[in-house]
Amino acid sequence: MATPRPSSRLRLYWLTDPSDRGLAVMLLTPLVLLVGLVVVYPVARLFRTSLYNHALTSGMPPEFVGFENFLLIAEDPVFWRVLGSTAIITAVTVPGALLMGLAMALMANLPFRRKWPVRLSLLIPWALPLAFAGLIFAWFFHSEYGVVNDLLRRFGLQPVIWFNSPFWSMAAVCLTIIWKTSSFMALILLAGLQTIPRSLYEAADVDGAGRWRQFREITLPLLRPAIVVALIFRTITALQTFDIPYTMTQGGPGDATATLAMYIHENTISFLDLGYGSALAVVMFLLSMLMTAAYLRMIRARG
Amino acid sequence: MGSILQGKALRLIVAGVLLINGLFPALWILLTSLKSEQELTQKPITWLPESPNMENYFTAFTDQPLHLFLFNSFMVALLSTLLTLFVSVLAAYAIARLNLRHRGLILSAIIAVSTFPLVTLLVPLFEVMRGLSLLNTWTALVLPYTVLSLPVCTLILVSFFEGIPRDLENAAMIDGCTRIGALFRVVVPLSAPGVFTAGILAFVNAWDEFLLALSFNSNPALRTLPVGIQMYQGEFTFPWPVISAALIVGIVPVAILIVLFQERVVSGLTTGGVKG
Repeated sequence: MATPRPSSRLRLYWLTDPSDRGLAVMLLTPLVLLVGLVVVYPVARLFRTSLYNHALTSGMPPEFVGFENFLLIAEDPVFWRVLGSTAIITAVTVPGALLMGLAMALMANLPFRRKWPVRLSLLIPWALPLAFAGLIFAWFFHSEYGVVNDLLRRFGLQPVIWFNSPFWSMAAVCLTIIWKTSSFMALILLAGLQTIPRSLYEAADVDGAGRWRQFREITLPLLRPAIVVALIFRTITALQTFDIPYTMTQGGPGDATATLAMYIHENTISFLDLGYGSALAVVMFLLSMLMTAAYLRMIRARG
Repeated sequence: MGSILQGKALRLIVAGVLLINGLFPALWILLTSLKSEQELTQKPITWLPESPNMENYFTAFTDQPLHLFLFNSFMVALLSTLLTLFVSVLAAYAIARLNLRHRGLILSAIIAVSTFPLVTLLVPLFEVMRGLSLLNTWTALVLPYTVLSLPVCTLILVSFFEGIPRDLENAAMIDGCTRIGALFRVVVPLSAPGVFTAGILAFVNAWDEFLLALSFNSNPALRTLPVGIQMYQGEFTFPWPVISAALIVGIVPVAILIVLFQERVVSGLTTGGVKG
C-alpha cells in the first residue's frame, strides 16, 4: 500500500509532524515496552533460571547446575504422569470441542427469526470464567446431590461416583472442558458458515444432491480454513489446561487429573522451587512454540 | 436448505437445545443459590427451590469479603482495559496507516504473543513482581492482563482503522490537526464501535483470568473474583448454596455486558479470532 502523495499544502503540515518512521517508532514503543517487560524479559529469565538450582525455601543462593533440572525432569515419574494427562485432555477435548462446536454452529445457522436467544446461548458459556465453570461442574457431577447423577437415576441408569476414580474424574474434567470451549469454537465456525453463499446450496438442490452430500461437498470444504484455525488455537490452549481441573478436582484423585500447568504452578508457587519450575516451564514453552509455528504457517498459507 | 430444516417446529427444538446447553449450568446454579443447605441434602434432589430465599446471598457477602473480590476484579479489569486500548490504538494506527517495512513480521509477532502460554510466564513474572515488590497489588495483574489482550485488540483495531477513509484524516490535518491529533480526533471516534468491541473483550479476558491472580495476589483483600470464590470451601465442607450465590454475583456483571453488546462481542471475536 502506498501512501497517497500529499498535496503541497498538506506536505507542510506533515513536516510539522514526525516522519513516518519516527511516528512508527513513537506509536509502537508502548507496545514493545509492555511486551518486553511482560513477555520477552521474563522468557529470557526463565531460560536462565532453568539452569540453576534455585529453591527459595532452601535459603541458599541460586547455584548454576547446567542441564541438571532437565535430567531430573526426564526421570521424574510425576512429570510423565502429568504430561500424559495433559496429552489425554488435549486428545479428547480438541476433537470433542470441534464436533460439538460444529454441531452447535450448524444448529445456530438455521434461519431463526430472532437471532439473540441463540447468540446468547453461545456467548454466555464463552464469557463464563473457566474457574467458575470448574466449580459449577464439580457441583453438577456431585455423586450424592449432583444433577448429572439425578438425571442418570431418572433414566434408570446407575449413578457414577465421579471423583473417586481416575477414569471418571478425567471424564468429568474433559466433558466440562468440551462444554466450556465448544461455544467459542461454534462462534468461529458460525462466522465461517455465514460466508458460504446460499446459491451453492440452491444449485446443489437443483442437481438433486441430498443434504448429507451438500454438507460433505460444500459445507465442509469451504469451512476447512475456519476449522483449521479453530483447531490449532484450541490445541494450544488445551496444552495449558489449568483452571478447570484445578477448581474441579484439584488434580485428584491422587494426581490422576493433574496437568503440566498445574505441576508447574505447584513447584513454583507452593514449593517455591523456581529452578525446577522454570525447567518444566521451558518444556511447556517449547511444546507450545511448536504449535504456534504450525499455526503461523497455516495462516500464511491462507494468505 | 430442505423443507424439514425450515420447519418452525424444528427451529424451536434446535433453539431449545442450544439454550439449554448454553444456559442450564448458570440456571442450575441460580436455583441452587435459592435453596437452603437442608433442602440441598434431600434425596431425591429437588429441582425447583421449595421456599426460595436470598439468605445465601447475605452469607456469601459476610463469610468472605465478596465486595472486595468484586471491587478488585472490576478495578483490575477496568485499568487493564484502558491501558490495553491506549497501547493498541497507537500500535494499530501504525500498522494500518504507516508503510511499515516489517508489517508482516510485526503482525506475526503479535499473533505469536496471543498464543503464548501464560503458565510459562508464571515463574519469571513471579520473580519480576517479587523483585519490584508488586506482589499483592493490582499492578501485578494489570500489566500481564494488558499484554494478554493486546493482540486481539490490536487486530480488531487494525481492521477498523483500515476502513476509515484517509481523506477524512487529511481534511482534519488541513484544518490544523497534527497526525496524532487526527488519530485521536478523527480516526478513533469514527472507529468507536471497534474501540468499544476491543474494550469489552479486554474486560472479559481480565475478568476471567485465574492462574496469575491465584499466584500473585494471595492477600485476601486483593483477591479477584475467580480466586476469591474458591475460598468458600473449607477442608471438608462445601457450602454449595453459598458458593452458588457468590457465583451468581460474579456472573451477573459480565452477563449484563454480554446481553447488552452481544453483536459487538461476536464481531470482535470473529475478527480477532483469539482466546479459547
